[in-house]
Amino acid sequence: MTKRIFRSIFFTALGVLLASAVLILGILYQYFSQELENEVHNQAVYLSAGVDALGVSYLEEIEEPEDGTRITLIAADGTVLYDNEADPASMENHAKREEVVEAKNNGIGESSRYSATLSEQTYYYALLLENGDVLRLSSTQDSSFALVLGMIYPFVAILMLTLAVSGFLAWAIARRIVQPLNEMNLDHPEEIDTYEELTPLLTRMSQQNHQIDEQLQEIAQRQQEFVTITENMSEGLLVIDAHTNVLSCNNAALQMLGSVSLPKQGSALALNRSEAFRTAVSESLEGNHSLQMLRLHGHSNQVLANPVWKDDQVIGAVLVLLDVTEREERESLRREFTANVSHELKTPLTTISGFAELLAAGMVRSEDVSHFGQNIYDEAQRLINLVVDIIHLSQLDEVSEPQMTSVDLSVVASSVLDRIRPVAEKQQITVKTALDSAVVMGNASILDEMIFNLCDNAIKYNRKQGMLTVSTGFENGHAYVSVKDNGIGIPKSDQERVFERFYRVDKSHSRAIGGTGLGLSIVKHGAIYHHATISLESELGKGTTVKVSF
Amino acid sequence: MRQIFQDQMKELEIEMISTGGLLEQAIDAAVKALTEENFEKIQEVRHLEEAVDHAEKKIENLCLRLITLQQPVAGDMRRISAALKMITDMERIGDQAADIADLSQRLIDHGVYRHAKHLNQMAEVTSDMVSSAIDAYVNNDLELAKKVMRTDDVVDELFVNVKDDLITLIRQSDQQIESAVDLLMVAKYFERIGDHAVNIAEWVDYSINGDIEPQK
Repeated sequence: MTKRIFRSIFFTALGVLLASAVLILGILYQYFSQELENEVHNQAVYLSAGVDALGVSYLEEIEEPEDGTRITLIAADGTVLYDNEADPASMENHAKREEVVEAKNNGIGESSRYSATLSEQTYYYALLLENGDVLRLSSTQDSSFALVLGMIYPFVAILMLTLAVSGFLAWAIARRIVQPLNEMNLDHPEEIDTYEELTPLLTRMSQQNHQIDEQLQEIAQRQQEFVTITENMSEGLLVIDAHTNVLSCNNAALQMLGSVSLPKQGSALALNRSEAFRTAVSESLEGNHSLQMLRLHGHSNQVLANPVWKDDQVIGAVLVLLDVTEREERESLRREFTANVSHELKTPLTTISGFAELLAAGMVRSEDVSHFGQNIYDEAQRLINLVVDIIHLSQLDEVSEPQMTSVDLSVVASSVLDRIRPVAEKQQITVKTALDSAVVMGNASILDEMIFNLCDNAIKYNRKQGMLTVSTGFENGHAYVSVKDNGIGIPKSDQERVFERFYRVDKSHSRAIGGTGLGLSIVKHGAIYHHATISLESELGKGTTVKVSF
Repeated sequence: MRQIFQDQMKELEIEMISTGGLLEQAIDAAVKALTEENFEKIQEVRHLEEAVDHAEKKIENLCLRLITLQQPVAGDMRRISAALKMITDMERIGDQAADIADLSQRLIDHGVYRHAKHLNQMAEVTSDMVSSAIDAYVNNDLELAKKVMRTDDVVDELFVNVKDDLITLIRQSDQQIESAVDLLMVAKYFERIGDHAVNIAEWVDYSINGDIEPQK
């Protein structure tokens, strides 16, 4: 803008200056020509007076005029009597010259001729003398041109000077005009009053500033909301553009992809290079839905990738990551459980069916019938026990409304021991008790089930003439029940797993001992139901202690 | 013009990262083929090796196209030339993973892998180095690159340990000399993978700092 203003001012000045210079020079030229003619007239009048009085000798005596004026005296018949520049004798008759003829007729004659030989304009002025002779003065007009030319140099100098001054002024003025514009604080356009003409513009700007501020605030708030929502999601969310640049990414996604921070280059692939993730990204950017399983640091993450379309073109993709580790674990547990249940149910049924088939075919001697019947009965009992246990477990699985009453663990324990003592005696196991009153809020039948299972295990996995110690009471402000035996114990590697359904430490001998493999599982679920903790201490060959603290 | 350049640079980055991913997968599969005696993994390594070769050609072309048509300067030029050099090392790592897989097919038959106690550790350290080197490139992480360079000594030491293990094995019986020699080759391949990972790390250093360390 400064340049433009400078240029307009400068070139206007230049134009005006040049135009006036040309005009002035033109006028001067005219003026000088006029002056020249006047001078020639005056000279002629002056000389004619001299010649009238003294004749030709006057002309011969006067000094040569310095300005190059040519003086000629012509007789009435046209013969040249005198000329200050040429020999009069060699000159031709001048009677026919235009100015001479005019002077003879009117007393004064003048003419202007262009001499091709000298390429000059010459001005002639003739005056009729009293004796009929004609005095003619002539002057080349190029002398007026020379005068003007002489003026040119100062003129150019003045022109230069004015141009320089006008250039500087133009620069200064342009700056002056633009400076307030440059110094405007556009953050607060309403406070500016530099130029009146700008006010509508600034008002508009101020309004728009307000609008933009409001919109920005709204956007920031939306963004904040979005961030808050995504950051609190447990699912990972990742939005990428068509060049795999990360547009948005929450912490959960970073964590699931095993990355600490967003990569500097912005490509989502920099977060994770695994095949599953690469496939998800490329497939979704090709416009297909993609479902991949990403395994990282022992976690299974499901990657759901969906393309984002705009005008039939994929402009990006949205990836959702779900941590399905627990679900996978649960699923595999359930599968295992189903397989186990069917297996456990099938074994007694096969036996029953086998014996029953033999009986039906009449292939059994009559004295063996009762033995076979006993076998069938035993297996049927096992089956019933199994089904009962499964029912118990599924009851515990379903978190029903807890029916809590205050229950004394010592009372429950002694009732369990009353029932189980005959079994223990059969195995020659000594039962010891240390039952202090320990009242807890709980479900009596579930607690009964738990303690029964613990004692049952302590007897089953004991040795001949072993020992069973049951104690209840308070420890560190928590009620507890502890069942201790000095039986076969559980190996370290299996201690984690004994609470799983159907898990058996020694799979080969389990049939002889009996049991369903669900006992400790029932204890575990009972403990969960009561928000109790189970601790298990066991050493192979020395015995096991299970303690449930409420 | 600038936009084309940026897009092609992006494409190069994505290709490099993907190739890095393929490489990690290949090494992981090779290690599993060896340690878990898994036949399927051997096939997987071969496929991955082919994929890496393919990627090498693609990245080379991309780099040359960028250099000739876009005339990159300074940081961009360094990053492209580093990629051009790195991809050679990456391709070599892929080859070596395939070599390990080939050898492990014979070793599974003999079941002697267990005798070289330090080999497991070596496999772990070298595959870590490759991952870290690629991470360093992806995240422009100079510290990580330096760490990879330092880890080379650990690998060299482990190689000596594996060699000692194998000498002991040969001394004990002359039944398994062939397998022992194969195992030594495997160890050497791992050691070479470590060297290539160091090379990659050095090129990362170059692409960040612009100084070329004297190659060993």
